[in-house]
Amino acid sequence: MGDYAVVGKRVPRIDAVPKVTGKATYAGDLVLPGMLHGKLLRSPYAHAEIVHIDTRRAEKLPGVRAVITGKDFPGRNIGFMKKYSDRPPLALGKVRYVGEAVAAVAAEDEDTAEQALELISVEYKELPAVLTAEEAMREGAILVNEGKSRNIAAETKFLFGDVEKAFQESDYVREETFRTQRISIGFIEPHAVLASVDASGKVTFQGSKQSPYITMRHLAYGLDIPLNKIRMINPYIGGAFSGKHDAHDLDFAAVMLSQKTGRPVRIVVSQSEIIGSYRQRHSKEMWLKLGVKKDGTLVAADCRVIAEGGAYLGVGPLNIYLIGVFLNLPYRLPNIRYEAYRVYTNKPICGAVRGQSIVVCRYGFESLLDMVAGDIGVDRVDIRLKNAIRNGDRTANGMQVDTSGLTECIERVAEKVGWEESRKKKTPYRGIGFACGSLPSGSRLGGHFGALASVNILEDGTAVLHHGGTELGQGIDTIMAQMVAEVLGLRAEDVQVGIEDSDMVTLDPGMFADRATFWTGNAVKAAAEDARRQLAEVAAEALQVPVEELEFRDRQVCVRNNPEKSLAFLSVLRGAMYGLGMPIIGRGTWAARDIELPDFSTGIGNFAHGYEFIAQAVEVEVDPETGRVKVLRAVLSDDAGQPINPMLLDGQQEGGFVFTKGQALYEECIFDERGQQVNYSFMDYKMPGVMEAPEFENIHVITNDPYGPFGAKGAGEASGIPALGAIANAVHDATGVRIKELPITPEKILEGLRVQKGGK
Amino acid sequence: MSVILNLRRLPEFTYLAPKTLSEASNLLQKYQGKAKLLAGGTDLLVRMKERWVVPEYVISLNKIGDLDYIRHDEKEGLRLGALATHQTVANSSLIKEKYRLLAEACGKIAHPQVRNRGTVGGNLCNACPSADTAPPLLALEAQLKLVSSNGEKLVPLSEFMSGPFTTILKEGEILTEIQVPDLPPRAAGKYLWLSKITEIDETLVGAAVLMTVSSDGICQQVRIGLGSVDQTPIRAAKAEALLQGHKVSPKLINEAARQAAGETKPRSRPEYRREMTEVLVRRSLTQVVKELD
Repeated sequence: MGDYAVVGKRVPRIDAVPKVTGKATYAGDLVLPGMLHGKLLRSPYAHAEIVHIDTRRAEKLPGVRAVITGKDFPGRNIGFMKKYSDRPPLALGKVRYVGEAVAAVAAEDEDTAEQALELISVEYKELPAVLTAEEAMREGAILVNEGKSRNIAAETKFLFGDVEKAFQESDYVREETFRTQRISIGFIEPHAVLASVDASGKVTFQGSKQSPYITMRHLAYGLDIPLNKIRMINPYIGGAFSGKHDAHDLDFAAVMLSQKTGRPVRIVVSQSEIIGSYRQRHSKEMWLKLGVKKDGTLVAADCRVIAEGGAYLGVGPLNIYLIGVFLNLPYRLPNIRYEAYRVYTNKPICGAVRGQSIVVCRYGFESLLDMVAGDIGVDRVDIRLKNAIRNGDRTANGMQVDTSGLTECIERVAEKVGWEESRKKKTPYRGIGFACGSLPSGSRLGGHFGALASVNILEDGTAVLHHGGTELGQGIDTIMAQMVAEVLGLRAEDVQVGIEDSDMVTLDPGMFADRATFWTGNAVKAAAEDARRQLAEVAAEALQVPVEELEFRDRQVCVRNNPEKSLAFLSVLRGAMYGLGMPIIGRGTWAARDIELPDFSTGIGNFAHGYEFIAQAVEVEVDPETGRVKVLRAVLSDDAGQPINPMLLDGQQEGGFVFTKGQALYEECIFDERGQQVNYSFMDYKMPGVMEAPEFENIHVITNDPYGPFGAKGAGEASGIPALGAIANAVHDATGVRIKELPITPEKILEGLRVQKGGK
Repeated sequence: MSVILNLRRLPEFTYLAPKTLSEASNLLQKYQGKAKLLAGGTDLLVRMKERWVVPEYVISLNKIGDLDYIRHDEKEGLRLGALATHQTVANSSLIKEKYRLLAEACGKIAHPQVRNRGTVGGNLCNACPSADTAPPLLALEAQLKLVSSNGEKLVPLSEFMSGPFTTILKEGEILTEIQVPDLPPRAAGKYLWLSKITEIDETLVGAAVLMTVSSDGICQQVRIGLGSVDQTPIRAAKAEALLQGHKVSPKLINEAARQAAGETKPRSRPEYRREMTEVLVRRSLTQVVKELD
């Protein structure tokens, strides 16, 4: 832990003013001369053959400039890895879920584009739809993807340690099955894109994308154009939560329509289209068995997961991999067996959602841990402390934990929530629940995985940073500017962050797995250090001291231990720029080259650095007559290493908790018997709003990660991971009712209370 | 066409903004079946985007003026202009003091942006089974003033809604005023609700209670309005009869609440809605009795 001037401080967000004043421009606000408006025609069937599409009437409508279908594309399927590529840019030959895009139009205005959609006639031959994992896995089931031999799109089996023996040696064993529902992602800014193609064929893509690198690769491959013919520019982005990684139908359609018309094309889809037909979280069935010693020490886990994930694979293999891997953290567990299946159905595509499938893994695990603790009479805090992973631990599958503040996190949330006192005097229908979780600070996927940044020092002593990360609202630009200011001895406001543009910087592989602070941060820090080195050489010459003796602080370059001897940062800079004709640009790259690619087939390997730890305690009140749950307080703690900006970290903790609270209590995508989602608008699909945010207490346990910039780890994605378990455990503590199938609805609680009264 | 696309841009229509009521009524008559009245627009515009309704003419009432008043005197009782917004009603010190159940219902509706546009008249004419203004206005025995080129008439709210999203309004008729009689002394009311899922959400069950209790604890008058438990908001008449003229006790309140639940015919989540009707009626009666004690 260092003594920092800017890092670790509650610096206001760089983008606060444009955002809160409504001046920030998002993709849907952008306008280019001659711009056309695009719309997508969607499938009304969950499963059907496309016999014929007649676009002639639409094309003849005045104002329509182009109509495209799946046939206009080069016929290449998209996926997160080559071997998992199963999704065409627009439906081709068949539709596999309600809402799959089958055609797109570009017109002079939105009304004309909408009208044109009605004039496209699509002849479908409806096929029986497969809507549940159970149906999909049945022998002889209808195939969702007829090119495959079955509907199990991916499966995996892990084995760490000797599970059979460990269960035999356990003092107590219990198994349970947990079920979690499909949820939609729900960001406030809808999917939107403005694509323009110039006369040379170069595409400029300004979209609401979380990981523009992933989208760029998809576009290049799916449209068969070289990468240098695509320029990705990020406007402001209004949240993503893993729903905006890959190139969606609208992204492909906007580019193709622009290619066809030679005019810019903007497409903004509606929230109802998004809720009902874009990325969702898998519905899962998780069977889990835990073996413990009588003092609560965890000995073995056996787990089987079936993940129902819709018509295309998305990042399915990664989704099921992560559940198995995160049985290893955040508790010591030497023997683990795991098997999982990711299943195709005729429903919208599932993929990553904030916290990944780890959220679901922790729900089952933390629930069962509480049940086991209750059965063997061990305190629920003690059982977590006893098993908490510690500094230097290596997990059963080989993950290396360098630093863990988990024990302190658990102790502090228990104290803050008043656990001990609550046991002495229990208020009826009030309860406290705990849960913990972990996430890596970024990982590798296939393809390029390094981070790049450059810092340009301007002649007035201010700096502009370019990095390959993406500001989605999580605050990356602010904390990167803080890191630059810290290294160069500048103030936070001296550093601006330039536009994220693939023509100027190599884009990061993507904003996933809490990567930005750690990976992008290390590259940014290296870039600032490179600039500092260049300036230090000039200053050392002027001050006649060795470079190593120089310190950069408070806009000064001073000699360590001799503060009298110093130069203003600006005069050093001008010495370089005006005296020596030497512009100062620092460049930095970073990658964890000593970690392993995730092995989807074995689950073995240390696939990340900077494992983060989270412990949460929530207090709920349940109305025994209405079954309503009110979360009164959430005590949120994390070990995010050295927080770069505690204020933004507080925001991440709270946002992550509320996000996951939605899955715990409110959200569920409900489908009718034909595979149409029935609650597809915010009128019926309810996410938590500000009224659902409880009182918060924020705790940051500071550790010093050996690899992270300034000792930092990631935190934002991890922040929501324990909430399902914590809320379910608190509801149980309040009522004695154990809910094993989400969401926790009032009806389920009342039913549980009835069963209880019946003496069952 | 897929249902998913059905929240679209507004369809084309002709916008008319008459300056007088008679002009508005004439336009309605003239464009029979092709026109819709616009008050706050919080329901109509959504319905148009959904293509539930595609009117050729939208006739705004907003240029007529003086349709958003809140007036009260002891003789006439409360007079609410149909265009009074939910927020004005919720904020009105007069209504908060004398007709608190109505202020509570209006303050519950959606969020401030919608409350600032949405009107009490519009809420009733939209005739959604879960319309929050209806249960308290039923309990208050509101009368609605309907104006047409043939003149005016008064209709009790209890006869106004004929089914989900349908009313007895005839072509050319405009709801202009909601009339609520003055309350006797020792009357108190309460509106309690549960939303469907989250706090800012459609009402799952709404229960409005208005009761007069004599100093010796006899229920002199009671009215119970329920929302979202049948095709239209309803009165729980049998539950009222159980209480009327009897000494109020927790046991009697329980019986009445159970009776009220038995008078409901909810379509979705029926068991839960029925159970919650009982809970809410019991709670609102109990609170009112406590207040009058």
